Amino acid sequence: MSSSSLKVVGLSKAFGDRKVLDEISFTIPQNDFAVICGRPGNGKSVLVRSIMGLETVDAGQVLVRDNDVTETNSGSRNIGYVPQAFALFPHFSVRENIEYPLDLIKATQEVKSEAVTRVAELLKISDLLEKLPSQLSGGQKQRVAIARGLAKATDVYLLDDPLVGLDFKLRERLIDDLRLTQEQLGVTFVYVTSDPLEALQLAKTILILSDGKIVEQGPLADVYDKPSQLASLTTLGFPAANIIVGELEGGAFQSPIFSVKTDVKGESGAAFAGVRPEAVMLGQHTGAVNLKARVTLLENLGSEIVAYLDVDGTQVITVVSRTDSDALKLLNAADVSISVRPEAIMIFSASTQRAIGKGVGRV
Amino acid sequence: MFDIHLKNLTKSFGSLNAVDYVTFTIPHSSVTVLLGPSGCGKTTLMRMIAGLEKPTRGSISFGEFDVTRVSTRRRNIGMVFQYPVIYRGTSVKRNLELPLLSEGLDPKVIKDRIHSVAELLGISDSLNKLVEDLDNGTRQKIAVGRAIAREPKIILFDEPITNIDITAKLELKRSLKEVFGRLSQTIIYVTHDQTEAMTLADQIALMQDGVITQCAPPAEVYLKPASQFAGWFLGNPGMNFVEKKDLKSSATAVTAPSLFSQSIQVGTRAGEVAVIGVRAEAVNVFTKQIVGATSARVLRKSLGIGGQYLLDLDYGGVLLKARVNHNLGKEITGQVWTTIDSDDIALFDESGVAI
Repeated sequence: MSSSSLKVVGLSKAFGDRKVLDEISFTIPQNDFAVICGRPGNGKSVLVRSIMGLETVDAGQVLVRDNDVTETNSGSRNIGYVPQAFALFPHFSVRENIEYPLDLIKATQEVKSEAVTRVAELLKISDLLEKLPSQLSGGQKQRVAIARGLAKATDVYLLDDPLVGLDFKLRERLIDDLRLTQEQLGVTFVYVTSDPLEALQLAKTILILSDGKIVEQGPLADVYDKPSQLASLTTLGFPAANIIVGELEGGAFQSPIFSVKTDVKGESGAAFAGVRPEAVMLGQHTGAVNLKARVTLLENLGSEIVAYLDVDGTQVITVVSRTDSDALKLLNAADVSISVRPEAIMIFSASTQRAIGKGVGRV
Repeated sequence: MFDIHLKNLTKSFGSLNAVDYVTFTIPHSSVTVLLGPSGCGKTTLMRMIAGLEKPTRGSISFGEFDVTRVSTRRRNIGMVFQYPVIYRGTSVKRNLELPLLSEGLDPKVIKDRIHSVAELLGISDSLNKLVEDLDNGTRQKIAVGRAIAREPKIILFDEPITNIDITAKLELKRSLKEVFGRLSQTIIYVTHDQTEAMTLADQIALMQDGVITQCAPPAEVYLKPASQFAGWFLGNPGMNFVEKKDLKSSATAVTAPSLFSQSIQVGTRAGEVAVIGVRAEAVNVFTKQIVGATSARVLRKSLGIGGQYLLDLDYGGVLLKARVNHNLGKEITGQVWTTIDSDDIALFDESGVAI
């Protein structure tokens, strides 16, 4: 029995002088729903293609089920693959499209029929099997593409941003389907995305990809609550975290909009303060850092209001649930008081981008 | 100012009615957002109002004046499209000026309008720049400026934010909100994005299969959906629905015994209730048993907007999504107790229409 589903060791790839993958290493255990999240242009697609064997690497190894497959061709790596663009064969029926990866490995008709029935039921496309792709909606096509990726009976699947470009109602449904599918199959999903909300909704384990490196890996809630890297805070979270530029001096963080005592020892100079939008409270609170703000836009999500505020030229974002009527009342005014508890202010070094402490009290 | 009246407005493409006997009034001096999924007919409806599409049947009136057969040009409508329509190779100022010159306006009036529009859109500093040197969001602002500088009575927006880079989107949305607040024109705005609609609209006209299913202020469409479709379409996630097999009705009341303890008084229509709807944030969740609460098993929890947790709850086979704040969500493990206030329960009949 293998201990990990997928292991990547020191994977590097450069195009000319540009390092796209920079000594990437990570291990994904069995039965995990692991999400690799990075902003666009951070090397996600190259990483996916390298794992799949569709791209040669300059250095490093890819291990699937503890077997080194770095030199193995793509078809023999035995990874289910859902690519980003759902290119279906237009002249094949849905059934034939799903069967295609099984044809490549010369599966018997019986195996193919079984697989098609299984994935069609999972993705609720059983009634579409005899249709042509041109007769399907965008969402249906995407389900077929996912089904095709899952048709191969294996235990490791790689999904490359499969929901990109779909409208959000379809995504909502497919997110539920994907989670359920992974649970029911009892397999490993490695899911790559640039969408922070998708990452939050799907991941058990999260890996943050930034500048061609995996800068942090851990259980989703841990990385969300205590990011060890600035990139983790800025990549993961919706709405995006507030990042305030400032300086550390004598243990205090000072910025143009607030100052706060911190538990940072022995560091000074340029630093960032990071504050999650939900940590920005409306109204003044004793012991908190209190600020005056101007409301510049209220974005209504239905269940929440995202408030974009201006504090002396710096944008600060907060999010309020529609069930919090006291906070909503405060947002009706053009000028509002806001506050942040010192311990909700995370401090990052500007030079290393690492978390180095948090706020402990007002200055 | 005048209202826009649509009467039995229909557009057929072969056997399909893309817009299906729509009778509807768009009030003057307000922002009406046509919202719906792809293919619901919202763009076709807007194009008929603009005169870009000929109705198969029905009529369009601006106030008392029937414009059904009036050309686009004579309807005096400003339009902003998905991709910014601008004159390349010229300055921002020239872009704003050209449509005004073609109207034969006095030079002083033109100058004043350019400056007030540029100020309104926050592009005064860019007036002498070439449009090529600007980002997509600013180009779209210029397209908005061109549409409003002519001072038409009606301005149509066809998904103006959809194709703007993510970084410029917020600024454009902020700018449109500001502009809409200060303009007195009638604005019709088409989008499939519910957040855009809820943020910008005075009223949302929700469309499905060529028909306007509800027209109301955003909060009303969200909190009091006129149909199951509206409950599902708005919100992330959409409303939870519980089917008839899990409901119990008496002559005047309905309840869902596995979900909540109280009976909802419906009156004589109790027997017609086929589905009930509950928003995820309307499920009150407790980690300890309290009087009147119902027990549920937590199937899974996931993080979401603003760090809130979304819970998938199982009430003995009836599934519901509930949303709780971050701190409560962290504490929750295998079992919770919930209540749902009667006011937060929507009732629908067999055909999905709200009771």
